[in-house]
Amino acid sequence: MTSIASLLAAFARDEVPGAPDTDVAVSPVTPEETARVLGLCSEHGLSVRFWGTGTRAGMGYPVEADVLVSTRRMTSVVDWQPDDLTVTVQPGHPADDLHGMLAERGQAVVLASGGTVGGALASASSGPARLRYGPVRDHVLETVLATGDGRVVRAGGRVVKNVTGYDVPRLVTGSLGSLGMICSVTLKLWPVPEAAATVTVTDPERALATAYRPLAILSGPFGARVYLQGTASEVEAQAAELGGEAADGHRWPEDPMGTYVVQVRVPPDRVPEAVRRSPDTHVAQHGVGIVTFGTDRLEDLVAIRSWAEGVGGAAVLVRRPDGADIEPWGSPPETVDVQRRVKAAFDPDGVCNPGILPGRI
Amino acid sequence: MTLVGSLAEAAAAVVGEERVRTHPLELHLYRSDAGLATGDASVVAFPETVDEVVALVGAATRAGAPVVARGAGTGLAGGAVPDGGALVLVMTRMDAIHDVDTANRTAWVDPGVINLDLSRHTEPLGLHFAPDPSSQAACTIGGNVANNSGGPHCLAEGSTVNHVLAVEYVAADGSIRTVGGAAPDPIGLDLRALLVGSEGTLGIVTRVLVKLTPNAPAVRTLLLSFDDIESCAATVAGVIADGVVPAALEMMDRPLIRAIENFIHADLPVDAAAMLLAEVAGHPDAVDSEAAVVERVGRAHGATVRVAADEAERAILWKGRKSAFGAVAQIAPDYYLHDTVVPRTRLVEAMRRLYEIAERYDLTLLNTVHAGDGNLHPKLAFDASEPGVLDRVHAAGREMVTLAIELGGALTGEHGIGLEKKELMELAFSRVDLDAQARLRDALDPDGLLNPGKILPAGARCAEFGRPVPEGTWI
Repeated sequence: MTSIASLLAAFARDEVPGAPDTDVAVSPVTPEETARVLGLCSEHGLSVRFWGTGTRAGMGYPVEADVLVSTRRMTSVVDWQPDDLTVTVQPGHPADDLHGMLAERGQAVVLASGGTVGGALASASSGPARLRYGPVRDHVLETVLATGDGRVVRAGGRVVKNVTGYDVPRLVTGSLGSLGMICSVTLKLWPVPEAAATVTVTDPERALATAYRPLAILSGPFGARVYLQGTASEVEAQAAELGGEAADGHRWPEDPMGTYVVQVRVPPDRVPEAVRRSPDTHVAQHGVGIVTFGTDRLEDLVAIRSWAEGVGGAAVLVRRPDGADIEPWGSPPETVDVQRRVKAAFDPDGVCNPGILPGRI
Repeated sequence: MTLVGSLAEAAAAVVGEERVRTHPLELHLYRSDAGLATGDASVVAFPETVDEVVALVGAATRAGAPVVARGAGTGLAGGAVPDGGALVLVMTRMDAIHDVDTANRTAWVDPGVINLDLSRHTEPLGLHFAPDPSSQAACTIGGNVANNSGGPHCLAEGSTVNHVLAVEYVAADGSIRTVGGAAPDPIGLDLRALLVGSEGTLGIVTRVLVKLTPNAPAVRTLLLSFDDIESCAATVAGVIADGVVPAALEMMDRPLIRAIENFIHADLPVDAAAMLLAEVAGHPDAVDSEAAVVERVGRAHGATVRVAADEAERAILWKGRKSAFGAVAQIAPDYYLHDTVVPRTRLVEAMRRLYEIAERYDLTLLNTVHAGDGNLHPKLAFDASEPGVLDRVHAAGREMVTLAIELGGALTGEHGIGLEKKELMELAFSRVDLDAQARLRDALDPDGLLNPGKILPAGARCAEFGRPVPEGTWI
């Protein structure tokens, strides 16, 4: 038994399928237990990597960690209040299960599908419906965070409107485990309107200018589609106004595949140009400002990154082969020094996913 | 030379004497916001550029004086009340709207721009700034950002933070920072989320990139009146359970209906126990069927329904809602307005118990509720000249806030913590939670220069807290 293993002997040590090799892997079952693991790691200078199902493990700088902390034993739906339009879940809960459960009662959440809720939240992965409803960070009401130094910090609340104190739930969203582990999250839900249609159009930017608040407008090798949702008469009228071929329901495209998957984030009016600069294997989110493409050629990333940064955006690597030494973020933001101080407020010893963020924070 | 004298001179060296105030009568104007708390300003300055803000922050740092930024002073929680002989920066002269970008539906605006002026400015473009606090004819965008302000229409559109893409601010160290941007999901930690709602404690907002929302092509406004509060609240829950999130769902109780009717004469249902102002907005083919849902659910709960026939009628109904504050003045010279949130499903219970509390303290209670959000605004009307009444008002207010927490709600939905509620933060959060908030504040403003004494209660910092404590321990 290694010394790290003996240090963490009190916790459920675990074989986590698909996880990278570390000296020890533990799968805590409560926020308090997670905090105790992290506290011990801080005390002994052990670095920690968090792990759900690895769906988004290709984001950020690679993390070399002594200890892997898995969310696989924190998978419950803690509380679902359909009439209040809120749901509270643990991080290891599969995102697709959450979508499925909500759909049975005609509700939906803005959150990417695939992987775990914790992973989608930690990477701020919003999914396609954000054109209408805004990004996932607009829907995070409460978080319970086990901090790097072993505290259990709750912030926000389980109500849809709240300005009590600093907005830690939004800060945690997209923090990629750099502050600690998200142990539960409360999300704001939406009722799903009665009708849905997918309209094939020829000019997605024109559709963006004319359609009244569609759920999404996507384009790619599959063509260009406008996703409508609303009352039956509204969807029918909007489909007629758009003038394309309409099909009932929503047909979402597959996520782009490739050795590398790159997400280009630019001001929304730059999407057509981003599309022109991207390989054909892309999905463009018109009106949002995101074009995601898969490629086997690293040059594609390098070429588009300098352009994207030049227009105030970024080109971010979201999938890469294990061990590939590629700059995942591009130029760090000008506030790296402030971000470093913010991380230290939660993880003063710097043990949580060390160096994963831009600026190797 | 006194400290104040030297600070005033330093401020005058930055902005000129004509934009500095030091006379006690002038300072008196800036010792409070629209709430009850008062403080003490030593010098007031009116910057017009970000460089002047930087220089003023530097002058205050050298003089050892805190800096309190304020907009129009419409806040109710004391967030802009100066403390400790502060240098007050009045941001209202930074009031330009720059770079309206119709393609991206954004605009860079100065902090002193008045909320309603922004929406009026972009109206010809078919766009508006969605947050619409009742004070929107006076309050500033900078103040909206500081307090993460809401308003009736944030039921469907969300609060200010959902409509801010980037913030330029002057930090406590005098540096000019920009967080966020026009592109989605800026890389790194989302510092923009920290700045919005930080009540001037983390930075002084000098420019804001706001998201503009397309004006709805069609709107239907309905007024539903009920014989009892329960039916009104049940209608709110029923509409949302039916899959419709209206643009706004505003509830008012009988005392307030009467006060408003007296004030604006809109033929309001003065004998109803409660009324619900409901608005659906969207595609022309959607609003009629959504309005029909509201009407059907309302009638099922015994409502009498009035549909605004035209824009003029819609305008007067909304004027009624937004002049609720003014209307209260007819009942008593003073009022104390609270801002709490409960889960939507607990509204009826919350209202019933609010009346009980007011009765126990012998105070007049009037209610407006952003009912769709469960955001309560109980108003206690009183005459401050009556001996001892303020103690009763404060005691009743504390019970009302405690009640919201007991029902699983929040201390404040849109007004902020400020001075008013900081000592109540312990009702909602553990010491560890508050310590984490204090550490965040220290990370951005280690010397406590910016708006000190707000948000966090005294003793929020657990100085001795360094290592994990046993499970379940609250230190």
